[in-house]
Amino acid sequence: MRPTHERGDGLAALIGRTALGDRSAFEHLYRASSARLYAVALRMVKDAALAEEIVQDVYVSVWNAAASYDAARSQPFTWLAAITRNRCLDYLRRRELDTVSLTPATDDADPIDLPVDAPTAAELLIAAADARAVRGCIEGLDSRQRQAIALAFFQGLSHGELARHLGQPLGTVKSWIRRGLERLKSCLDAAGATR
Amino acid sequence: MNLSRPDRPDRLDRLAAEYALGTSPPRVRRRLAAIARRDTVVAAALDDWSQRLAVLGTALPEVDPPARTWDRIAARLGWSATADARPSWWNRLAVWRAATAVFLAAAVALGVLQTVGKRAPAPGIVVILAGSDAKPAMIAAAAPGEEVLHVKSIGATLPPAGRVFELWGLPKGAAPRALGVIPAGAVVELPTRSAAVALLASFPALAVSVEPPGGSPTGVPTGPVVFTGQVEQMF
Repeated sequence: MRPTHERGDGLAALIGRTALGDRSAFEHLYRASSARLYAVALRMVKDAALAEEIVQDVYVSVWNAAASYDAARSQPFTWLAAITRNRCLDYLRRRELDTVSLTPATDDADPIDLPVDAPTAAELLIAAADARAVRGCIEGLDSRQRQAIALAFFQGLSHGELARHLGQPLGTVKSWIRRGLERLKSCLDAAGATR
Repeated sequence: MNLSRPDRPDRLDRLAAEYALGTSPPRVRRRLAAIARRDTVVAAALDDWSQRLAVLGTALPEVDPPARTWDRIAARLGWSATADARPSWWNRLAVWRAATAVFLAAAVALGVLQTVGKRAPAPGIVVILAGSDAKPAMIAAAAPGEEVLHVKSIGATLPPAGRVFELWGLPKGAAPRALGVIPAGAVVELPTRSAAVALLASFPALAVSVEPPGGSPTGVPTGPVVFTGQVEQMF
């Protein structure tokens, strides 16, 4: 038997207590992680109201799914960020279905003012890599692969939107993405970056 | 589309990668999500890639969400925003209450409480631990005068390879308390070093989580919480 840590610090401990229905741990988890998750959502959906709604969705599902979190399989923030990304993608893809738009993605309808010197998506992908190993893997990509993956990653663009955005045939863009992802997988897995 | 066919790992891997990156067409995305709900191989592939890509972009500058966001989350979970946020395991355990009543009789029939039976009517305690499907997976019982918990696994309830089950007491208004790693075996004993009945009676509920060998290194559950159950006075 081990002594109980009344305030197990760290997100993993907070998720563990949330899994057992501890509301105060859940609120601490929210306070400790919501600004990072909101940044992820804002970057992807570029709409403050929608990003807020997504963050609400994310924490409601975290409350309900905390018991399925496995600290041996993923870092706590990675787990939270993956839920957030998937929720953003669901919204973006649903919106795409709703509008059935054949015109290029509405980049200029962007209500979030990014600074003029905002780094390009590819630079941002490198800058936002927390760990050196992750940054190394991104830098190891071919520049076209990196650009396509970064656009998809931060803007949530689909294959079709990417092809239009980059002015390239669909098949070309799909193969950049496919090869880039394969390379990223072997590099990240070799670096043990996911765990 | 049978994606979990063993001869198709590359195709599943590619589809999962594009799903996680978000480049799949909407129809493919919805279809994959639907398949993942019933196919664990597909679900694991999507999850692996989602986790893998989520390590990218983790160092974006933080942006605070509007202050009302927390209140809205609390409201959506049915909590009053003004109510105090004390832990309340028992709210979550309401589901198990009915199941527990039904399976109490079964527990006796299973013979877990043989030792208690001989000494009745002194009070004993039994806890039926069930998973999210409400199917009982374990029974924990305490007999008067003993300093040991009896734990019986129902059917083939085994932790994943290389992991162990750890038992937790969920006290009212405080952090969970580790009761120890459950030894392997169909019917096992967990020493309590104090009167087992009094120990169990101090918790409204118990839970079982999956942990690394030796138990949780942090003092709180680190793996999935797989079973929970309410503590019931037997007699």
